Amino acid sequence: MKLITAVVKPHRLDEIKEALQASGVHGLTVTEASGYGRQRGHTEVYRGAEYTVDLVPKIRIEVLVEDDDAEHVTDVIVKAARTGKIGDGKVWSVPVDAAVRVRTGERGPDAL
Amino acid sequence: MKPDAKPDAEPGGKSDEGSHRHGTADAAASDGYPAARLRLLQEDGQSGPARRAALAGLTDAWLSSLFTGAAARLPGVSLVAVGGYGRGELSPRSDLDLLLLYDARADPGGVAALADRIWYPVWDLGLALDHSVRTPAEARRTAGGDLKAHLSLLDARHLAGDPALSAELRTTVLADWRNQAPGRLPELRELCAERAARQGELRYLLEPDLKEARGGLRDATVLRAVAASWLADAPREGLAEARRVLLDTRDALHLATGRATDRLSLQEQDQVAARLGLRDADVLLRTVYEAARTIAYAGDVTWREVGRVLRARSRRPRLRGVLGRGGFGRGGAAQPERTPLAEGVVEQEGEAVLARTARPEQDPVLPLRAAAAAAQAGLPLSPHAVRRLAAATRPLPTPWPAEARDRLVTLLGAGRPTVDVWDALDAEGMISRLLPDWEWVRCRPQRNAVHTWTVDRHLVETAVRASALTRRVGRPDLLLVAALLHDIGKGRPGDHSEAGAARAAGIAADLGFDAADTAVLTTLVRHHLLLVETATRRDLDDPATVAAVTDAVGSAGTLELLHALTEADALATGPAAWSAWRGHLVADLVRRAAAVLTGRAPRQAEPSEPTAEQERLAMEAFRTGGPVLRLRAEPEPPPDTGAGSGNGPPALAAGAGAPGGPEPLGVELLVAVPEQPGVLPAVAGVLALHRMTVRTAELRVKELPDGLAAQTGTAGPDLRARGGHGADGADGTDGADGAARAGGRAAGPSPAAVLLLDWRVAAEYGSLPQATRLRADLVRALDGSLDIAGRLAERDAAYPRRRGTAPPPPRVAPAPAGSRRATVIEVRAQDAPGLLHRVGRALDAAGVRVRSAHVSTLGSNAVDAFYVTDAEGAPLTVERADGVARSLEAALRA
Repeated sequence: MKLITAVVKPHRLDEIKEALQASGVHGLTVTEASGYGRQRGHTEVYRGAEYTVDLVPKIRIEVLVEDDDAEHVTDVIVKAARTGKIGDGKVWSVPVDAAVRVRTGERGPDAL
Repeated sequence: MKPDAKPDAEPGGKSDEGSHRHGTADAAASDGYPAARLRLLQEDGQSGPARRAALAGLTDAWLSSLFTGAAARLPGVSLVAVGGYGRGELSPRSDLDLLLLYDARADPGGVAALADRIWYPVWDLGLALDHSVRTPAEARRTAGGDLKAHLSLLDARHLAGDPALSAELRTTVLADWRNQAPGRLPELRELCAERAARQGELRYLLEPDLKEARGGLRDATVLRAVAASWLADAPREGLAEARRVLLDTRDALHLATGRATDRLSLQEQDQVAARLGLRDADVLLRTVYEAARTIAYAGDVTWREVGRVLRARSRRPRLRGVLGRGGFGRGGAAQPERTPLAEGVVEQEGEAVLARTARPEQDPVLPLRAAAAAAQAGLPLSPHAVRRLAAATRPLPTPWPAEARDRLVTLLGAGRPTVDVWDALDAEGMISRLLPDWEWVRCRPQRNAVHTWTVDRHLVETAVRASALTRRVGRPDLLLVAALLHDIGKGRPGDHSEAGAARAAGIAADLGFDAADTAVLTTLVRHHLLLVETATRRDLDDPATVAAVTDAVGSAGTLELLHALTEADALATGPAAWSAWRGHLVADLVRRAAAVLTGRAPRQAEPSEPTAEQERLAMEAFRTGGPVLRLRAEPEPPPDTGAGSGNGPPALAAGAGAPGGPEPLGVELLVAVPEQPGVLPAVAGVLALHRMTVRTAELRVKELPDGLAAQTGTAGPDLRARGGHGADGADGTDGADGAARAGGRAAGPSPAAVLLLDWRVAAEYGSLPQATRLRADLVRALDGSLDIAGRLAERDAAYPRRRGTAPPPPRVAPAPAGSRRATVIEVRAQDAPGLLHRVGRALDAAGVRVRSAHVSTLGSNAVDAFYVTDAEGAPLTVERADGVARSLEAALRA
């Protein structure tokens, strides 16, 4: 199993959700997050005064999938999240040792 | 408690652990009870009070048989039901509260064995048991140290064994309660307040705890305890019925969930409603809320009565002393102290009550005035006052008079105390009379996990939250009213924002807002979700996103209001609705939209040309070299009629209300003074001394005609040299530039410029002072012989500080992109007696000249703009402007 984590622009959430549902992913976790990457935040000018935005609002999406699906799901997220502009975000996956469905006690891929 | 749970080993008499089980001996008795219990709970024939009583009766018989079977020959022992069971009401999953009582005659070993033979069968059946084994003396001691234990013992009821023992306990516990009541009731009140703070108000919660929340079953029990103290009694009206509703709901909840829960969660509400035979969960919640309201209201009244009785008791000894010295003939209670809060409203014993002179029949604004005054002072509105107001006041005319609208805004802007005052009005149906649409949202539940509160409470909470954001907007009154109305469309068909906007337009017009303000309010209601939805779901880098917002909002002023409303709404929704993350996104969107809108924002309306009367006053002031003053009650005549007489009778004024706009508040005060330093603080100070509040104030420098100035010969050459300069000013406010500058420097008795003040003022209490007295004081203030600051400070000190919540701190800042000829300093602060006087003094102290001023008081918020220049008549530098703003803010905070 793999845990896929995506940190992306907030307004892409609906597209990503729809794309994931269409590709058979049934569950996901969304968290409100903020941070910066290579862009190091950005600077804006408002009423003549320059101010720096160092932490940019993002959303963090987490999906647990079987090993074989990981690549495909990652691609789905990347495609749905892309606007082509700076700050589109990042997607990564890590191996997962165990998963349990709390209600039934099912383990491993059955719990997904 | 689980069936296999062991009893606690506790010093002081609870049953000891370690005894063997006695289940078999009681099997015969238990066999019948569980079956009968099950039949009773699953049988459809019985429900409500009858079932609770039947369940208690069944349980009584079973426990009694257990007791007799085990202790037939044991003397000096009895079994007592306490708490809810003691009241003879058992819900399907209620605890059994039992006390095994014994005295010196009983053998301690035998008592322990007896306890086991009663407790174990109860546990074996899976029933929750709250048990103790005590002597009457121990029970009394426990009660003395533990208020909750004492309350539970007040409901003691004999079940089995020695009836005399049980009766003795009951008598002593009740006697103790009555004796100790003066000390214990305040403690109990504290306990209730703390629980209310923790659990919230039942009637506003979407997932209420039927027992612990304020207005719940626990509070109903407490009211019984207060009544048992014989100190005070609750208003009985509807109380038993309200309690029955909550108990019935809890029964259904126990049966629906199969658990001993008191929390009516969203997922159970449909099932519970079905069990109670109600149409749906909304009907269930409304019924429950009404019941909770009755109990909470009875609680408020009872506790205030307790407070009064206890205060009266503590006063009595001193009073006797006074009477003893003073002789006889002063029978009856002492006159309670009354301090005025507003016209017709006074404070008495920690409540806002109607003054003896109040005439609710003739004063339709009185309810709002009383409510606003109470909320601003942080006082509860006396229930008697509310009842009297509800019975006697006539409905407000539509559109509302200006004072009513202003008092509504003041009430909404009072912060936390608004909630209780609003609630007191609502309990008597007065809110629905003021705003008929309120009936739609009153007690309306929301099927949304993000929301904490019912719609009505959410609306009031939004106003409370908005009151903390009033310094961020130029129109706090619109913010507060929009907060109250933003969800008024909930419960109507269709999208609630659209439905609400349609209703808000009608309501705003009824409230007497003009067309422009009504349009802003409608926009705010229609788009109250726009910012949050756009910011979190759309691409902020896309110009179309920003354009969608600017198109919908239209102006920078409305955007600023919508931003504050968005935040207030989210904060009032629940903990999940607002976060720094969301705040950041919304602020980003607002910044981008503001950058687009600021360019096209209309400038603040400039004062119109002086009327003929103002010209006349200016000339007179110029000729006499002193202040000229006009005070009049009727609206200003239309400009084309020229200078009318300023002394028309007030009766005329009522009929002469302008048909187009809403009637303004207060009376008009015109003052013309030759320009000199200190005019603004002097006029404002004199008004404050005469207890007049300033509603709006326009101030400007009036240039005198060249010819006239030349005739006087003092400032002539200088003035003429600069005359052209003044005339070409694009900014009307600054038109008098040259003349004013000249006048400011002129040292002689005939300066070339006159300050024109066009103010609307209202008397705080009673009638207006005479214009001649105002003028006399103004002359003294200007020549320095009247110490206004000292007099105001003296009066301030004489008044007790009010407890109302602290208003947001004042905010003073130079307005961006102000006038080209002057620097605009914006002041936003809580209105207070003498505020304008302090502002004026601070501006004088900062060494700037006020060229014009636009002051308005909106509810309890002052929103002022001062157009200032340096001594030479030039706009201030950015640094200087910031410095002036900072020193002004510091002066207002002091």
